[in-house]
Amino acid sequence: MAGLELLSDQGYRLDGRKATELRKFQARMGPFAQADGSAYLEQGNTKALAVVYGPHEMRGSRSRALHDRAVINCQYSMATFSTAERKRRPHGDRKSTEMSLHLKQTFEAAVMTQLYPRSQIDIYVKILQSDGGNYSVCVNAATLAVIDAGIPMRDYVCACTVGFVDETPLADLCYAEESGGVSSLALALLPRGGQIALLQMDARLHQDHLETLMEAAMTACKGVSKVLDEVVRQHLREASMLTRE
Amino acid sequence: MGWLSSLLENMSPMKLCVPGDKLCSVEDCIPGTGVYLRHGYIYSSLAGYVLRKNEGEELPVISVVRETEAQLLPDVGAIVTCKVTSINPRFAKVHILYVGSTPLKDRFRGTIRKEDVRATEKDKVETYKSFRPGDIVLAKVISLGDVQSNYLLTTAENELGVVVAHSEAGAQMVPISWCEMQCPLTHAKEFRKVARVQPEYLDA
Repeated sequence: MAGLELLSDQGYRLDGRKATELRKFQARMGPFAQADGSAYLEQGNTKALAVVYGPHEMRGSRSRALHDRAVINCQYSMATFSTAERKRRPHGDRKSTEMSLHLKQTFEAAVMTQLYPRSQIDIYVKILQSDGGNYSVCVNAATLAVIDAGIPMRDYVCACTVGFVDETPLADLCYAEESGGVSSLALALLPRGGQIALLQMDARLHQDHLETLMEAAMTACKGVSKVLDEVVRQHLREASMLTRE
Repeated sequence: MGWLSSLLENMSPMKLCVPGDKLCSVEDCIPGTGVYLRHGYIYSSLAGYVLRKNEGEELPVISVVRETEAQLLPDVGAIVTCKVTSINPRFAKVHILYVGSTPLKDRFRGTIRKEDVRATEKDKVETYKSFRPGDIVLAKVISLGDVQSNYLLTTAENELGVVVAHSEAGAQMVPISWCEMQCPLTHAKEFRKVARVQPEYLDA
C-alpha cells in the first residue's frame, strides 16, 4: 500500500481518527439468557461475542482440577466469514491456540479463582468480524461477559492494541494499520491498580520508544475502562428498573 | 427477584458498584460476600448493589449483591439434597441438586461410601438396603474430593438419609422407622436409611 499514509501531516489516520482516539464502542451485556454470562462488543468494525459458563464441576479429565482454585478454560475462535477471505480453519490452528492461552493468562490474573476450588470456568470468545485489535476486543468482551455471569473479579480487564508510526503512538489499531508494517503492542491492564495482566509484542521496536508506547497503551486502556464502566452501570440500572416494576 | 425489589422499595436507592470500586476501609466495615480486601481497604468484586447490614455491636457487614444469585458450590459441612444414580456394594453415586435451599444450575457428582451411610455398625451396612437409584437423600459434605473422587458425602446422622423414595410398585413410600419404609399401595416394606424429619416440617 504505497500511497496510503498511516498518519497524515495534519495528524489524521486512515479512518479519520487522531492518533490517540479510540474506535467507536458499542456493547451489550447479557444478550443470551441460556449462558451464565454473555456480552457482545463492537470496536469500530471488529465485532466479538463472548460467552461464559461456570463455575461448574470439572468436565473431562478430573486430574486437571486444582485443589485450591478454579481452572479457567478459554477458547478463541473466528467465524469463517470474519475475514476478507473465507477462513479455512476457524479453530485449532496455532494462532487460535496462542490467543486462547493469552486469554487464559489474562483472566487468571483478574478473576478470583480461589473462591471456587476444584471447579472450572469456561470463557468462549468468537470474532464475528475482524478488523484489527482482535485480542483487545476479545478481552474487553470477555470482561463484560464475566461481570454478567456474576463471577467475582478484582477489577475490570481492559485491553488495547497500540502501534508506533513516525515517532507517534497510535491507539486502537485497525487491520489496515496492523498489516501496514506498524510495530503493534497489545496490553491488557487492570485500570484501577495500574497492574498489567498481559503485554504482547512481536514486532521490532527501538528500545527508546518502548516507554512512550507503553504510556500510550496505558492511557488508551484507561479510556477503554471508562467506556466499559459506563456500559456496566447502564446495564445494572436497566436491570434494576425491570425488577422494580 | 422479589426480595431485592422489596429491599429497594424499603431503602433509599442503593449504590451501584462495579468490580474494583473502593467501598470503604477495613476499619469501618467487615467484609462480607462479593468483596475483597487489599491493603486495608475493601473493594467490590461484583457488579451490583452495596449492602450494609448491622449485626449486633460489631462493625456493619458490607457486601455486594446482584439480582440473580451467583452459582453456589457445595462446601465442606454443607447439607445438600441429592438424587441417587447408581449403587454398588462399596458406595452409592449421587447427583447433588440443592445446596441448602438453593437449587444448583448444574449437577455436581458425589459419592456416599459404605462406611459413611450410618454412624453405628458401619461394617455391616448393605448399600442395597440403604439406598436405591432414584431416591432423594439429604447428606452432608465431608470432603471436596481429590484427583480420583468426586465430592464425598455422609448420611451418618439421624437427620440425614432418604427423604423421598418410590417403591417397586411406583408409589411414594411412607417412613415407618429409621431403617424401613412402607408402600401405601402394596403395604410392602422396603429397607432404606431413613432421615428423621424435624417435627416442625411434618404435617399435623
